[in-house]
Amino acid sequence: MWSLLSIALRNVLRNRRRTMITLAALLLGVGVMVGIRGVLNGLQRALVQTAVSGQTGAIQVHHAGYLKNVIASPLTLDMPADEDFLNKIRKVPHVTAVAPRILFAGMINVGDQTLFAAMQAIDPKREFDAVPLRKMTVSDGGRFTSGKIADAVLLTAELEKGLRGTPGQAQLPAAVLGPDKDGALSGENITIAGQLKLNLPGEKKLAVVPLALAQRLLKMEGRATELVIAVDNIDHIPEVAASLRRVLGSDYEVHTWDQVASFVKQAMERQNLILSLVATVFMILMLLGVANTVLMSVLERTREIGTMMAVGVRRGKILALFLIEAATIGLLGGVAGGLAGLGVVTWLEQRGIEVTMPGSAVPFIIRPYTTLTYLAFVVSLAAGGSLLFAVYPSWRASRMRPVQALAGG
Amino acid sequence: MSLVEIKGVTKTYQLGKTEVSALRGVDLTLERGEFTVVMGPSGSGKTTLLNIIGCLDNATSGSYKLDGEEVGTRDFNDLAEIRNRKIGFIFQSFNLIPVLNVIENIEFPCLIRGENKKELRERVQQVARDVGLDPFLKHKPDELSGGQRQRVAIARALVTQPQLVLADEPTANLDSVTSDQIIDLMLHLNREKGVTFLFSTHDPRVMQHARRVVRIQDGVMVDGSGSAQVEVDRLNAAQHG
Repeated sequence: MWSLLSIALRNVLRNRRRTMITLAALLLGVGVMVGIRGVLNGLQRALVQTAVSGQTGAIQVHHAGYLKNVIASPLTLDMPADEDFLNKIRKVPHVTAVAPRILFAGMINVGDQTLFAAMQAIDPKREFDAVPLRKMTVSDGGRFTSGKIADAVLLTAELEKGLRGTPGQAQLPAAVLGPDKDGALSGENITIAGQLKLNLPGEKKLAVVPLALAQRLLKMEGRATELVIAVDNIDHIPEVAASLRRVLGSDYEVHTWDQVASFVKQAMERQNLILSLVATVFMILMLLGVANTVLMSVLERTREIGTMMAVGVRRGKILALFLIEAATIGLLGGVAGGLAGLGVVTWLEQRGIEVTMPGSAVPFIIRPYTTLTYLAFVVSLAAGGSLLFAVYPSWRASRMRPVQALAGG
Repeated sequence: MSLVEIKGVTKTYQLGKTEVSALRGVDLTLERGEFTVVMGPSGSGKTTLLNIIGCLDNATSGSYKLDGEEVGTRDFNDLAEIRNRKIGFIFQSFNLIPVLNVIENIEFPCLIRGENKKELRERVQQVARDVGLDPFLKHKPDELSGGQRQRVAIARALVTQPQLVLADEPTANLDSVTSDQIIDLMLHLNREKGVTFLFSTHDPRVMQHARRVVRIQDGVMVDGSGSAQVEVDRLNAAQHG
């Protein structure tokens, strides 16, 4: 077996130019695969981070059945937001912050202009502990985020644009209107304090109001419809979610960020699918190159195959010889490509790529990265795939008749 | 018991829709220690006969016994084993493995049957010395002359201590001085070590030394017990008009 291995390795170096061309193709293919995966990893990590730290939190708690009816933002499915209840959650290991919210459908009135809007009531003091990146989406000169102005309201650009038709808007009194649980419409005076940018695709006409104001407006003192929970590490999310389900019981439902923002997960799955398709095409092209190299080698070495058969080498060993050669090329090309890809990904990780998602006004920095598992996977794929694609030419070599092979085919 | 016993061997090839008969009922017996030449014009069937005797090809019909064992019906791997253990080959174009050096080429047939490299080394070096390759053990085939390459092929054929060595036109690609050296070497091995040689050749110098010449024409054995000198005279006469 050692002599066979030794011959196979020497044969790889025999036609150096051809081996180098095949290796270059493998290097490029594997390198591109590692590069694309790395960028995608970075993008997906940024997406998750934007979702978890910028909007959804790591985990959300609602009253049982709330999420099924979320489009109607039902106020009847509310839950406590008092300190006792929040402390119960804070005591769960790995929980770092809890922020209550009320989501409701309401109206914003400025002068004689009134627009429907999706309303989100948050507690500025707690919200930015639970979703710290969200602070970056607010431009209000600190008027809302500080929590000092009790009637400060943030509007998205879309909503603001709709209200801008009102002349002298800035000086006009503004109000928020909303129906309480019983459907009675109430209003509260507000001050438009600044603008809120969207960091993920979603409802564009959105107003963010202080939680206390919304609780008064909706007659929901000490209540909320949603609790946003931050954890110390996203790897702990499943564990924390399980603990919360145990602690809170069946009256409440606990969802992880990917269940709430399923569109992010779907987008990631779509990206992974596209990458798999691109990678498959790349891989097939590379491996066809390997198959071609082995086929050329078989055709060139027909007489040599005949000689080996004449001195007693069995068909299985001829097959193994060419398979070892192909796998060696695949392995070398895979390792070289993996290292090249790793180099590019590491460079991009340090440099960072600034990207703005469609439908989002907040750019974020992608820091590509790769994992040893993925590198091992692509290297094995290159070596294993080369082996697989070399089966036919190697089998052809092993099935030659000795006489035919000695005569040169 | 004869080393080779062939009876009524035929070989038919299919060339497109045409059937070509390369051998049409050949009988041949070889005894141990013989130095025999098969001669005949191109296309007479001598290479086909050597291929069948060398277990490189199967006869279409007839019987072939090697060392008393019927080998005509064996499968590929059995024949590979027989070739490895009982037969050595010397080819016209040397057929060395280019990536292996002299010593590796010589030991190759032994390694594929699982012999230990260290235990083998002494025997390989002895065979290399026997064929005069001592100074070239680490050379690759492309660093050797034609004669040196044929010596490597002879050493490779002998290292397994085969019962029969088949040589298909072994001097055809060599100059006359080198041819003489190679013939002398094979004669020496035949006389001193009792190796049985069967040649296919047109070379009168090989025939001169043959103890027996068998003639084949159109796939039929014309004469299986010819005197070497008679054949040489006949060939010389044909060559000189």
